Amino acid sequence: MLKFLLVDIAYFLNTSNKYAKIKLFFYDFLENNSNKYKRYFDFFMITLILISVVILIREVKFHVSDELLFFNNFVISIIFLIEYILRLWLSGSVSTIIIKQNEHDTMLGNKFKFSKALKDILILKIKYVLSIKAIIDLLAILPFFHQLRLLRLFILFRVFKLFRYTKSIQTFSSVISSKKFEFLTLMIFASLVVFISSILIYAMEANNPASSINTLFEAIYWSIVTISTVGYGDITPVSEAGRIVAIFVIIAGIAVFSFTTSLVVTAFTEKLDEIKDLKLVNDISKIKEFYLICGYESVAKDVALKLSSNFKVIILDEDASRIELAKKDGFIALNYDPGSVQSYLKLKIDIDTQVKAILCLSNSDVENVYTALTVRSINKDIFILSILLDGANKNKLKFAGVNELLYEKELVGMIAKEYVGQSVAFEVIHALRSNYNGIDMQEIVINDRILSSFSLVRDLNNRKYNIVLLGVYKKDKKVFLFNSKDETVLEKGDFLLIVGDEKFIKEFDKYLHKRQIK
Amino acid sequence: MKNALIFGYNDYAFEIAKNISSTYENVCIFKLHDDKSSLAKEQEKYKIYGFDLSDDWDEIVNDFDVSESIVFCTLEDIAKNVFLTISLRDTFKDLIIISIAQGKESASKLELAGASRVIPTTETTAKIIVDMLEKPVVTKVLHSILYEQNDLQIAQIKVNKNNIFDDKYPADINWSREYKIILLSVVYEDMSQEFIYSNKAKHHPIQSGDIFVVVGYDKDIINFEQLLGSRV
Repeated sequence: MLKFLLVDIAYFLNTSNKYAKIKLFFYDFLENNSNKYKRYFDFFMITLILISVVILIREVKFHVSDELLFFNNFVISIIFLIEYILRLWLSGSVSTIIIKQNEHDTMLGNKFKFSKALKDILILKIKYVLSIKAIIDLLAILPFFHQLRLLRLFILFRVFKLFRYTKSIQTFSSVISSKKFEFLTLMIFASLVVFISSILIYAMEANNPASSINTLFEAIYWSIVTISTVGYGDITPVSEAGRIVAIFVIIAGIAVFSFTTSLVVTAFTEKLDEIKDLKLVNDISKIKEFYLICGYESVAKDVALKLSSNFKVIILDEDASRIELAKKDGFIALNYDPGSVQSYLKLKIDIDTQVKAILCLSNSDVENVYTALTVRSINKDIFILSILLDGANKNKLKFAGVNELLYEKELVGMIAKEYVGQSVAFEVIHALRSNYNGIDMQEIVINDRILSSFSLVRDLNNRKYNIVLLGVYKKDKKVFLFNSKDETVLEKGDFLLIVGDEKFIKEFDKYLHKRQIK
Repeated sequence: MKNALIFGYNDYAFEIAKNISSTYENVCIFKLHDDKSSLAKEQEKYKIYGFDLSDDWDEIVNDFDVSESIVFCTLEDIAKNVFLTISLRDTFKDLIIISIAQGKESASKLELAGASRVIPTTETTAKIIVDMLEKPVVTKVLHSILYEQNDLQIAQIKVNKNNIFDDKYPADINWSREYKIILLSVVYEDMSQEFIYSNKAKHHPIQSGDIFVVVGYDKDIINFEQLLGSRV
């Protein structure tokens, strides 16, 4: 009966959207670096750890008030305990294990083996409990049992918890761990030198009454102090043989020291690009809105430069030299292949909410088609714009899912036509487009706020602001009502196309958005 | 103008030829002698001539009335295009030469070489892309007015003597309601252009010789033209 109840609960939890949402919320909060609230949580936890350590230091020689001790032993410990429990909960899905076991047994026509499911759950959870991070978390909670005086020193384990919350320490440990083998070799070498030199110095000096080395511990202590190149000088060899041993240990010490330094430097140099890229990816995941430019060649450079004055721009290119150039030009650029799904996954971005549009601006139709197809395979709705190099490839790009195409050669043809036909008019439009003399052509989208005060074109009063209203673009019908009549009804989503001085346009926009008293 | 002489045997040249063929009696494409490329389909539509950068242009003088011609320099090799432009300008001082350039650097070189107008392809493409993203509706509407065949048009109308607007100020007239057209700019005799609500335009009465740049439907522009002057 209990077994069935457990299975029911497992199915309920596994299918409950609310439960999934809650779990996802806590996962994001504790583990997801791109979650904007995680940094506040991390900062809060770091503060608690530092308070703990300060109280411990203060307690050594001074009296600490009962309130502070209570805060340290109970409040902080309970917060850590809650965090530990949450992490234990997030470390795997119990309900999924129960459901899997139940489905497995049902399929084979067996009775539900709860013991098997329980075993799997225990293995999963114990695996987490025995992980280094979880052990440190647990030890950090132990000062809660403050009656055990010795356990108070476990407060120091709270310092190790900093690993969880500070990214730089995590980066440092990951860099060091990339040279695990080299460090292990170095440690074995250093241990051997310490071992041999300790025994030698003990043998040479222990029986010498003038020597301060009398025990094996003192010999080991002297070896470590010497090999580390610290050399306190409190214990020194007095015999000639002892000094010869010292020379070897000093030389070995220099070797160990230099080798360690070069290892750390090499590890960092090797990982530098990776670390920089990781940081960049992390920064990108926090940007609210940006344009993604695929390919950094002729047109892309100009587009990136123009767009960057108002928006964030991210550049992807598989050519490292072009990425270097983009970085030199001051853009956020990553040496990722825009034609690979993996690149977008590595970016850790939400295309729907963060990316305003994807621009395929490579100087090759083949690459642009491939990029467009890749993007379309992971997102059906994102706006894709591409340049077209060869008119024959127009349909291929359309077929790949590009929303807007720009064929440079066709554009040149049309410009030539307009120029030879009406050069003055063409120059005027060109000047308006380029914001010449502060005169600009803008579009204002009609929203609820504007609608609450202005429902008809007649009400707009644009002439007062020296603004020319070219017309209204009806979004629903996708038609442009040139020189819209006074009685044209404005609707949400419509666009006003206006021409005027930049400053007056801003004022007119403000006026439209300001609630008018009727 | 009767003749359009397009130098260059490439997609730019054929796109220009396609777009201007209705405006000119003769549209001729000039292909460099050492150009081995072939664009079979287009070849049939236009007259193809050969030329060399070392030519003294005697053949052109003999075959075409240069004073009735416009030239497009569309060679993709920018050094050759600059050389072609400078060479043509050296021979024909008053010829209208329109050249295409990839970047800003080559555009300024072409201007120095004497091109009447330079179309910077990369910059223009980039500008249009940015406009399409930042002002999609404006771009769409402008594109339709400028380049597409429809009733809505942009026109430049020259003010003739003795018109009904003499000595009136452009900003004082409600053009859109009274004449169903939108007056965007006024271009004065010194070719400086002013937006109708700019300070200069506000204090400058309408005079014969001014050019009005207006947007409107075909029939409204024709009606307006009759009141004001003539289309240029």
